[in-house]
Amino acid sequence: MAGVLVFGDVAGGEPTAASLEVAAAGAALAEALGEPLSGALVGADLAEASQQFRGGFACLYLVEGSHYRPYTAQAYLTAAQAVIQACSPSVVLFTHTLETRDWVPQLAARLNSGLVMDCTALASEGGALVVTKPVYGGAVLGEFVVRGAPRMATLRTRAFTPRPAGFSREEVTRLEVAASQPERLVLLEETAAAAAGTRLQDAKIIVAGGRGIRGPDNWHFIEEASAALGAAVGCSRPMVDAGWVPSSHQIGLSGTSVAPDLYLAVGISGAVQHLAGITAARVVVAINSDSGADIFTRANYGVVGDYREVLPAFIARIKQLRA
Amino acid sequence: MNIIVTIKQVVDPNIPPSHIELDPAGKRVVPPFGIPPVINGYDANALEEALRLRAKYGGRITALGLGEDSGRESLKRAIAMGADSAILLSDPDWMHADSAGVGRLLAAAIRKVGDVDLVLCGRQASDTDGGQVLYWIAEALDLPAVSPVSRIEELDGRNVTVHRLIEEGYQRLRVELPALLGISSETNEPRLPSLRGTMAAGRAMIPGWKAPDLGLEAPAAKVELRQLRTQARTSSAELIAGNLGAEQGVALADKLHELGLI
Repeated sequence: MAGVLVFGDVAGGEPTAASLEVAAAGAALAEALGEPLSGALVGADLAEASQQFRGGFACLYLVEGSHYRPYTAQAYLTAAQAVIQACSPSVVLFTHTLETRDWVPQLAARLNSGLVMDCTALASEGGALVVTKPVYGGAVLGEFVVRGAPRMATLRTRAFTPRPAGFSREEVTRLEVAASQPERLVLLEETAAAAAGTRLQDAKIIVAGGRGIRGPDNWHFIEEASAALGAAVGCSRPMVDAGWVPSSHQIGLSGTSVAPDLYLAVGISGAVQHLAGITAARVVVAINSDSGADIFTRANYGVVGDYREVLPAFIARIKQLRA
Repeated sequence: MNIIVTIKQVVDPNIPPSHIELDPAGKRVVPPFGIPPVINGYDANALEEALRLRAKYGGRITALGLGEDSGRESLKRAIAMGADSAILLSDPDWMHADSAGVGRLLAAAIRKVGDVDLVLCGRQASDTDGGQVLYWIAEALDLPAVSPVSRIEELDGRNVTVHRLIEEGYQRLRVELPALLGISSETNEPRLPSLRGTMAAGRAMIPGWKAPDLGLEAPAAKVELRQLRTQARTSSAELIAGNLGAEQGVALADKLHELGLI
């Protein structure tokens, strides 16, 4: 067993951005281990994606077939097992999506491998794989030693930087994996989420309010700010518990996990369960009258002040800038 | 209908991160003083789902926990919410079990309970956020597993129909029983314990099973915790200056515009 194998995801015919991050992380690890790097794609149509998924792989494994869409764990599990058998890697890396979160642990259980999911850092220490993973909603970082053959990790989106692909001459291996018969699990239908408005998890900008808003009568401040920015509206758990905001807007552990480019947290103190939902946000701005609020430990930019004074001026200036 | 619900006791995630302290060795989080631990949120959703299924189809619910003796409190709460009985797996030898080990231990206990139609787990735990244990249980018991489940639609003697969340929406799946489901918070709002339930919980005897009861040694861990460390507690945020709120608001808009974020 030697080598690092990275599995990419395909969406709309192209490798996802997260796949390129995993490829870059895999390349760095393979270099540190002094072992070869291989890539793998599983999907219904890999014509475009196989051209674009380039990470300086010694070998790129392709498993193509119409039975990979819609997603079933069984199909991916069988395909991944075939690739791992062909490649015999010591380490296998994956993206961290709703799909990989479903089939990768099943793969680990099937192969009796050590697996840590949602890692933000990887290192090799004398051949051992050492990974870092946020726990307790990101308040604590856990460092784990992973053993087993192969050792596995899924990587958090945006935790690793993609790097330009090298122009290596890679060998492409196509594996034929027969469609496995659905045994005890039958897919009846697949339904896209209601397209009304931007879904929180897809939103590029989110304006969210918390307990510091003090009362439902002030919620219009949040709605006006989100309208000015073309943003989605979110909230923290106390707002839902109080019945002021529908639970579909709740961000955090018991709500939605989001990954916007800009997250504007207004009157949100930053409890563990809320911070857990915004770990993937790129830039966090906090507006809070309490300079000691925990949200400021996560925020990139902070405004210590009364949001009822800050937001109207902010909104007016946004409108000027956008005019 | 015989249902097992796995229950993990966790540090209350509604506390601020600054309340989280580690032991000197950096191996575990010290339970914050004066803040009682809670049932993992998704596990509470799983229990609520089990209670609704029992109301509709009849049957028995067994809450199954693994951990220190203090974990009994959460199992009592599960009984107070309506579970028929509870079992705690507690053996010092299991302290360092990883997801695979915990999954195998829970699977062995489920096998010992016997004749189970449905295993309901939370989709993940709010403390370690591992999201693996349910799949190791399913593998050990050779059960079909579906997670994260946002709705249990219906159940007949042979199958359960569920909605599974995917990135772009959901899938409707029919799963043959016995099966394991990872329950998500979209399913329900867990009930509070009733007075009658609380009294039942007070009387309940919760057996504690140890290694000899399961006939299982501590499985060798493939994933070993080396070190926990807390994230920086100090703010590294760049503060937007201004004497008045209005000045700060304008400065913030300019800053975000300059960064190309808006």
